[in-house]
Amino acid sequence: MRDPLTWIEQTGLGHMMRESGPWTYAIVNVAHILAVSTLFGSVLVLDLRLLGAWSRRIRIADLSTAVTPIAITAFALAIVTGAALLATKATAYVDNPFLLIKFPAIAVGMLNAGILNVTPAWREVGVRALRPGERRQFAIMGGISLLSWLTAVTAGRMIGYW
Amino acid sequence: MKKVAMLLGAFTLSALPAFAHHGWGGNEDKLTDVTGTVTTPVSLAGPHGTMKIRDAQGHVWDVTMAPPARTQQAGVTEKLMPVGSTVTVHGHRNKNQNTYEIKVTKLTFNNKVYDVYPGME
Repeated sequence: MRDPLTWIEQTGLGHMMRESGPWTYAIVNVAHILAVSTLFGSVLVLDLRLLGAWSRRIRIADLSTAVTPIAITAFALAIVTGAALLATKATAYVDNPFLLIKFPAIAVGMLNAGILNVTPAWREVGVRALRPGERRQFAIMGGISLLSWLTAVTAGRMIGYW
Repeated sequence: MKKVAMLLGAFTLSALPAFAHHGWGGNEDKLTDVTGTVTTPVSLAGPHGTMKIRDAQGHVWDVTMAPPARTQQAGVTEKLMPVGSTVTVHGHRNKNQNTYEIKVTKLTFNNKVYDVYPGME
């Protein structure tokens, strides 16, 4: 794990983080927390709906219309700010086990969202009623999503406590 | 829905063990002084000010100070102590005696004491 960490520390991003005053890290940290909380909050709402919450009142298609662009924007901001925070002193995290929990958890969350997005039934959500099997599949994917993002956020916060 | 909410609550709580102050749990309560020469000068980037010093036995210590703005306010700037200068740091070392890492509350350089973690012993 040392090589990629050394690499990111030596990028221009790392230099910028280290050479732009004592408040830079704190400010980028604020942006990262905002991004992560927005991402988690928006994903949480959709995942709960996929798990069956509010199923009689709120249509998945409507909820997804509202929540997905917010989640994607927040995810992009989280990636950029997260890379900047890591690049500041990346090699200090060489032995940090939480990094090895966080990044795979993010990968699982992204993969799950990607698979859901290309699932034929997802494309027809709002167009026709879901079959029970499809509803079950969505519930499982909502659960996987919730678990993976919960793991990512938890492990992410724990990095600072190692 | 209620079950989901409860499960979620349980998860969230399980993620909050009782950390008094983050990162200090792995360090001794007692105070240690280490005198050494600066090998990596003060950096005021990242969550905390940091530097590296080499003690008389040749061990290189990772020195962690307060968050950057507070460390700087205490008078410790990145240019204060050039490489090779002698400094004594005072603080809580890692509980693992083979890990040369110390969270510093005060440091002495050029006969001047810098309170790098005001309010901490």
